[in-house]
Amino acid sequence: MTLTGQYVAFFLFALMAITGGVFMINLNKVIHMVLSIGLSFFGVAGLFVILHAEYLAFVQVLIYAGAITIMMAMGTMMTHHATAEVLPRRKWHTFLAIISAITIGGFFLYGIYKITWPSEMAELNDNNVMAIGEKIFTNYVIPFELASILLLVALVGAIVLAKKEGDE
Amino acid sequence: MAELLSQPFSWLNLIIMVSAGVVVLGVVLVFVMYAIYFERKVIGWMQLRNGPNRVGPWGLFQTVADVLKLMIKEDIVPAKADRFLFLIAPIIAYTPAFAIIAVIPFSENVFFADVNVGILYYGALSSISITGILLGGWASNNKYAIMGGMRSVAQMVSYEVPLIMSFLGVVLLTGSLNMKDIVAAQQDGMWFIIPQFLGFVIFLIAGNAELNRTPFDLPEAENELVAGYFVEYSGFRFAFFMLSEYVYIFALSSVMTVMFLGGWDAPFGLTFIPGGVWFALKFLLLVFYLFWARATFPRVKTQQLMGFAWKVLIPLALFNVMITALFKTISQAG
Repeated sequence: MTLTGQYVAFFLFALMAITGGVFMINLNKVIHMVLSIGLSFFGVAGLFVILHAEYLAFVQVLIYAGAITIMMAMGTMMTHHATAEVLPRRKWHTFLAIISAITIGGFFLYGIYKITWPSEMAELNDNNVMAIGEKIFTNYVIPFELASILLLVALVGAIVLAKKEGDE
Repeated sequence: MAELLSQPFSWLNLIIMVSAGVVVLGVVLVFVMYAIYFERKVIGWMQLRNGPNRVGPWGLFQTVADVLKLMIKEDIVPAKADRFLFLIAPIIAYTPAFAIIAVIPFSENVFFADVNVGILYYGALSSISITGILLGGWASNNKYAIMGGMRSVAQMVSYEVPLIMSFLGVVLLTGSLNMKDIVAAQQDGMWFIIPQFLGFVIFLIAGNAELNRTPFDLPEAENELVAGYFVEYSGFRFAFFMLSEYVYIFALSSVMTVMFLGGWDAPFGLTFIPGGVWFALKFLLLVFYLFWARATFPRVKTQQLMGFAWKVLIPLALFNVMITALFKTISQAG
């Protein structure tokens, strides 16, 4: 396998995604955690760009980067600046976590090797945004509408909850 | 420029790409320097003052001297600040602002990346700068800074919604998210400022709010918050925050020129003047508008600010999208 630019980029973005996740778990301050999960989101967006899914990549950045700032604002409002919350670590937890991580990883690997992937690539023309739009609004319009109703219910619910607390 | 990206990798191509980036950076820096000078002059004239007039002929070197002063100042990090985040916050705020320029077509041949989701790219990257601003406010460990940062987040998140919705009318008319296609569609028909006037006005207001400039400069309101999120910054890192604001002016005005004023398209058939000149003229008009608004509007109050975004701009933007879709459907059917 030759070392192409795509290959290098893949490793960089994959590394970003994984280190972001690892830092997210190991850091102690909320803001640091949120930033590292942001790094992870960027890594995933980069992987989408490599796969020629620019639309998906930038939607990923738009939605999740927006979420980072909101999470950070929440974090600043609800935690103290100087103190970091360090949870006591139990001995058995590390061991059990390693075991379950290996099990799940092995399970996924088994599944991935079992599937026979189609050998030729799907036809991806330059304007795949249009293709995505047409698919969503014709073949998948009912799941799309259901998702929007779900979001609407969540929105109304949040307003009702906030209103109740405001009245008290 | 665009064909470079599809060629196989070579060191020569890398050198060309990097030097193109450096040239753009240089152009942007010169723009920022003289935009600040121009802004101070224009505001001065509007308030019957002279503006800067001491350094160099007509004060032309005033901002050069200011930048030099900022560069040789000490870079102070407060003792109680979160050192690492304090240091990277200006970088996080500046990088997306500069990266936006990559997708803007300045004329038929001068553009850097022909991305088929250009507008979405703009919307996505402009939402990242907020992270840098909030981070700068939080890491400074200063109550004024954190209040400025929080205000900025609330404001920018709210105004981003009408800003992106105001794109949708143009996207509906063009049927593409690609900035070059949008200009091409305007060359065939009329500029989108006429059929999309409502969208244009929403973009003007929401864009001004996104930039945190007067009348929407609550995050850095001097008389309430000292200087807002960058109170604790000094020297070059302070300059970076200023720079990202002015680079955003550059990017926002360029995007508005492309989407509503026809990009490099020449009006009245005056095609003997090159497209780049037309682009620059329209672009400077919009930059002038931003300075004009700063000189003449008072700052809005916090409760007015959020109510205006959610109760006026968003319904108007939705209305605009619906009307545009309706007209497009009728004209296609008939």
